[in-house]
Amino acid sequence: MPLLHIVDGKVVAKKKRTILARFAAFLCDPFVSTWRHRDLVDAILRRELAERFKGSVAGWVWAITAPLLSLIVYTVAFAGGPVSLPGGGKSGSNFDYALFIFGGLIAFNLFTEMAYRAPSLLHEYAHFIKQTIFPAEMLPIISTLRATFYATIGLALMLVAQFALTGTLHLTVLLLPLWFVPFVAFLIGLTWMLSAAGAFTRDTAYLMMTVAPLLMFATPVFFSTDTFSPTLKLIFYVNVLTGFIEVLRYLVVFGQLPNLWVCVWVVVCALVTFYFGFWFFGKQRDSIADVI
Amino acid sequence: MSSEPEVVIRTRHLSKAYRIYANEQQWMKQVLFGSWRTYYRSFWALKDISFEVRRGESVGILGRNGCGKSTLLQIVCGMIRPTKGEVWVNGRIAPVLALGGTFDAESTGRQNVLIGGAVLGLKRQEVLDRMDSIADFASIGDFINQPVKLYSAGMRVRLAFAICAHIDPEILVVDEALSVGDAAFQRKCMDWIDNFRKRGTLLFVSHSSAEVVRLCDHALWIDDGRVREQGDTANVARAYSRALRVERDDMKRFSAV
Repeated sequence: MPLLHIVDGKVVAKKKRTILARFAAFLCDPFVSTWRHRDLVDAILRRELAERFKGSVAGWVWAITAPLLSLIVYTVAFAGGPVSLPGGGKSGSNFDYALFIFGGLIAFNLFTEMAYRAPSLLHEYAHFIKQTIFPAEMLPIISTLRATFYATIGLALMLVAQFALTGTLHLTVLLLPLWFVPFVAFLIGLTWMLSAAGAFTRDTAYLMMTVAPLLMFATPVFFSTDTFSPTLKLIFYVNVLTGFIEVLRYLVVFGQLPNLWVCVWVVVCALVTFYFGFWFFGKQRDSIADVI
Repeated sequence: MSSEPEVVIRTRHLSKAYRIYANEQQWMKQVLFGSWRTYYRSFWALKDISFEVRRGESVGILGRNGCGKSTLLQIVCGMIRPTKGEVWVNGRIAPVLALGGTFDAESTGRQNVLIGGAVLGLKRQEVLDRMDSIADFASIGDFINQPVKLYSAGMRVRLAFAICAHIDPEILVVDEALSVGDAAFQRKCMDWIDNFRKRGTLLFVSHSSAEVVRLCDHALWIDDGRVREQGDTANVARAYSRALRVERDDMKRFSAV
């Protein structure tokens, strides 16, 4: 079995398969590929994590200081702020609004970090893509995992703060992994799309720099959609981030199970984004080495 | 069945065209309306290349700057897709293209060895096991613990080649890698390559015929994207050297048609 066999620009299929088998293989592909390149992913992820605070004396202290400071600022500034429990009741604590904003920002900042970085991601690794046999489709996974790592620090701080300020930690926190996996899948899919598009034109980067800050106001980071009319609420849910942020708040701040339909919508969006991104990247990847 | 060793690399009528756009707007138009009209010019970097490499052979690829040598190697390694023709490779390839180009300037030599090893398909533990031997081969002393940005060009190449010398590929692809190191290091690399030739297949690219004569039993001379001559190394190298003396260094070769 040859390792590489290409005729007229197309890889010669190893064996004929039915459409169903090919679809199943496509669904497994991102995971199979990651597993196959796990040593490479590991090596580059280590470098990326180390790179963030390279050259600074305090190093990792910054990773904790930044979210800690913003959490303190929110707590002081928004203590006793306007937040009502989704049921209409009054919340028991003065700090709910600070945590409410902090949770929204963790998710939103993670999204913007990827939106800003993704378009230039392949350019950063151009040497690898052009000069070595390199699985470029791993780069979005690696960079998303790195950003997720820092977001996890913020999330952990939020849980600590929740416990320290309100004295309770809701049991629903245990469901957080179920929130995290679809969100990361959504971001990886998004990064696949943006990085492939960004390889061809720098406009992708400018577009994201323009759109992402505006998106902050179309996302309920500082407010809640509960008081909105049903129509307006639906419009807000078109922005998938709304769903993700609300589910996060329900689990951590309110300690309630989120609306089932919101969960379904969020998971479906994550799956579609993930696989569409993977498909799109795969379609473009052969021309990427030519243009980068 | 013949008694000759099996073919590991085969290309047939291989051609590669790059799309040249006059500006970004032309590219955008191609994306939107490409099904109806063409908005780019094609630059054919390779035209109708056919050759075969058998297991254990060393093949030198000669040619001037911009003739398509590196494009050919990139295709054989699977980094870029050919536009036309067939390429068939059977065996684990390790490319030593533009050595040290992938080094991250901020990371230390050691960290770069870990990444370089992973890119070339080694497991982390395997790289760690070979780290001392790699440092020894590179012989750059304590600089292995310093950021690569402090390295001289020669030290980069030393480290990069040291990594490549510690992986175990079936097919080794070397692209003008040795031109920077000093004579003693070059000899060390040549000795290592000589040693490698006993067990593996070598594809060696150069614009210097002396190196090719020293290392290869077959040669392929590429000129303007076509095979101009191939066969016995001595003959091809002689014809190539003669042509270099006669032909002017004109820039017309680089123009897209």
